[in-house]
Amino acid sequence: MVGKDQVKRFTESAERVGATVAHYGTLEDAADFIARTAVGKTLVPQTALTDKFQLWSLLEAAGVEVHAGSFRDAGQLPGAGVTFCNFAMADTGTVVLDSTSEDIRLATTIPEVHFVLLDPTKILPDNLAAVDPMNRLYEGSEPRFVAYITGPSRTADIERVLTIGCHGPRQLHILLVPDVSDDLLEI
Amino acid sequence: MAATADFKKSVENALAKPKLSEALHLFGDAYLIARENAFRGLDFDQLRTELAAIKDDVRERRKELLAQFIANAEAAGSKVFVAKDTREANDYVVNLAKQKNAGLIAKSKSMVSEEAHLNKALAAAGVRAAETDLGEWIVQLAGQRPSHLVMPAIHMFKEEVAELFSKEIGEPLEADIRTLVNAARKQLRKDYFAADIGLTGANFLVAETGGIGLVTNEGNARLCATLPKVHVVFAGIHKLVRNIEDAVKITRLLPRNATGQLLTSYVTWIRGAVPTPGNDKEQHIVLIDGGREALYESPVCRDALRCIQCGACANVCPVYQTVGGHVFGSIYISAIGIILTAFYEGLDKAKEITRACIGCRSCTAVCPANIDLEEIILHLRQQVTNEYGMGLVKNITFKAVMRNRALFHNMVKAASKLQKPVTQQKEGQPATRVIRHLPMHFMDKDLTQWRDLPAVAPRSFRDLFADIDQKIDQPRYRVGFFVGCGADFVYPEVGVSLVKVLNHLGVEVVFPNAQNCCGIPALYAGDTETGVELAKQNVKAFYEADVDYVLCVCPTCTMGVKRDFVERLVDDPIWSQRAVSLSEKTMDAAAFLENVLKASDLLTATSAARVTYHDSCHLKRGNDVWQEPRTLLQASGYQLEEMKNSDRCCGFGGTYSFLSHPQISRQIAGDKVESIMATGVKTVAMDCPGCMIMVGGSMGKADSTVRCAHTMELLAEAITGRQ
Repeated sequence: MVGKDQVKRFTESAERVGATVAHYGTLEDAADFIARTAVGKTLVPQTALTDKFQLWSLLEAAGVEVHAGSFRDAGQLPGAGVTFCNFAMADTGTVVLDSTSEDIRLATTIPEVHFVLLDPTKILPDNLAAVDPMNRLYEGSEPRFVAYITGPSRTADIERVLTIGCHGPRQLHILLVPDVSDDLLEI
Repeated sequence: MAATADFKKSVENALAKPKLSEALHLFGDAYLIARENAFRGLDFDQLRTELAAIKDDVRERRKELLAQFIANAEAAGSKVFVAKDTREANDYVVNLAKQKNAGLIAKSKSMVSEEAHLNKALAAAGVRAAETDLGEWIVQLAGQRPSHLVMPAIHMFKEEVAELFSKEIGEPLEADIRTLVNAARKQLRKDYFAADIGLTGANFLVAETGGIGLVTNEGNARLCATLPKVHVVFAGIHKLVRNIEDAVKITRLLPRNATGQLLTSYVTWIRGAVPTPGNDKEQHIVLIDGGREALYESPVCRDALRCIQCGACANVCPVYQTVGGHVFGSIYISAIGIILTAFYEGLDKAKEITRACIGCRSCTAVCPANIDLEEIILHLRQQVTNEYGMGLVKNITFKAVMRNRALFHNMVKAASKLQKPVTQQKEGQPATRVIRHLPMHFMDKDLTQWRDLPAVAPRSFRDLFADIDQKIDQPRYRVGFFVGCGADFVYPEVGVSLVKVLNHLGVEVVFPNAQNCCGIPALYAGDTETGVELAKQNVKAFYEADVDYVLCVCPTCTMGVKRDFVERLVDDPIWSQRAVSLSEKTMDAAAFLENVLKASDLLTATSAARVTYHDSCHLKRGNDVWQEPRTLLQASGYQLEEMKNSDRCCGFGGTYSFLSHPQISRQIAGDKVESIMATGVKTVAMDCPGCMIMVGGSMGKADSTVRCAHTMELLAEAITGRQ
């Protein structure tokens, strides 16, 4: 069981780098927030957890414009992406997504806004604690793409002034929802 | 040797445009604060020791680990090519582009591709390379090269960027950073989608998984790896790590030390040709030696390959902050750049920047891989001297004069008489002798234009010592005094003060007359031969003196005795043993007073004067002494008021400020003067005669009411009252 302190630490770390973190009682509540915040086409890649919770239907019911069809046809700057994640790290406010499926990669790289659904039980204390699940993800010899995401895309390449939203999402919203999954290998 | 005309010109050009230097100073100050916050709660020294151990193990097992990486990457569907040099690496990518009929490659940041001049090779084959890292894109549009490892366009201003972007995009853009970033976002997005090949670098090559790791902030590497059908990884072989845990440990240091971030926005772990629906994704990994194997094989320089490319050695470097990365660097810049340039591009390309290092060791102190950059640069400077000579003045001074102690000391005496017509007493400071203007062009045209030079004292310390009557009945210790040239001939009062303080605390001072210069000036100029000869003279003198400790009042001499004598005499068993024994009992006077004598418990707080303290490079970063002089001064009653960046170099650097790069020295000294004046304090304490020459001389021109004194002088004055 993840202590309140760890959730608090995660929240502080993530907010410090410009992400938002909020608690929702149910996925429906979270979908509601997404519907109010997302603008335009929303990429929702199909995964074990989206199937399990029928996330597409939930989002559509809440009024989100879920993109159907190939994500590569969603335009070069689609509105939003919605994903679950494998686990998170409290010390840096990072969410970790096994993004081997191209749809997850596209939904988390090209949209303006990225929404991540995270079960707080998946928050690990730090990146050293994440080594074990990482090693498990890399067992065998299958191709694999794992993304650590810490806040929105940023740059300081012009006059060293921190500017948000260079090539990746301009906003990162982390939605804490209980009872989704405690399996670190599941997304 | 003075710099060549071309290099000198580039330094002058940089100095003529102070805007860049101002920006780099602001950045340097902000960096230190951000970094300190990022490491709060962590033990930096422990982390970097651990990282060094990882990298050293990788070096030793690199063949086995490389084979393991290749086997695992191939098992995941990657094609791996090992290129012996950058040309082979370029050829591979050019051929691949031809094979795929590729017209456009979207690139994320890869320093090794800069090293290989890959874009040029691609252009020659009719393939356009689109840099997508914002900084790299700016530099590419400007037709320049990066001036910083992490922030390639740190030398550019938003107005210049607006002009470049407006021209490229074809619409007028305001010089507003947000507008410019948005414009780049839109424009480059087209390239990711249109590109046939995406090329990334790699921060790690993980042997155990066969995957790579990318540490980025903008998100462009993920797009380059994802959108095009072919992903090329372009990386140096030194990026190998054993496993994910090693890589994670690097990520704990890299962003913190690079930009003060706890972690970058993205760390991306990619193994194999990750599937792309409807397409056969390919991943090609090009691993480049290009001089790295030779560097691994160099026992003196190989630690440089521990580098994780955080760029911190530039952020803290006073020379970099003064002239920027285009002058102080080649493909790779600043301290690490000197070493990599020597190995990747050749010693000839590195010779000017090797001499441009002032030797302040701030890079060594900040390095997350525990690389003693300054020591490696010193070694390279010796090679440069062997290859290209060190110039006439240094040649005569070191080889003909300094090795012969009697001749050297007689010449100094003669100089003290000859200088009389140009010395000038400073008002209100009867004890100080300064040269305000030199009557002729001597060595360099502007030696006294911006600072006073101290005159040679009428009587050297060795002459004065003979007259000192040490009345100690039962001495607690007998210590040898290694005076060093600065305190012997320029500031003998420092030595006299030390004797006073030591006698007061019941310690007897022995002065072996056969001692000579520590040899560091010769060694820093790359003259090892003279260094060895001087080491022997001094080791002999102090071996025969048979004392409990040996004290220095110059931290560069301390480093010479403690570190360099041992290294210089390592090949001879008898000399080596004596050098080690001398090394073990040698320390800075302040360290002896506080750590051996516990003098702060014995001194009386008799003075109430305000002082500010300047940390000498070699005292703090060469001998790890910085708290001791502060404690001693405070125990004597002095009110300590810290200046900004107290441990930033004063610009002296020995012959650097006279012969090699006086103009760079001048700028660095100017920063120090500013910090001192901002405190409003009228006394600056320090523990190095070299710093006294530089700070004293520069302050003399800026505000002659500020006094520069050695800590030993101030301690002696607190004991006996200022005379």
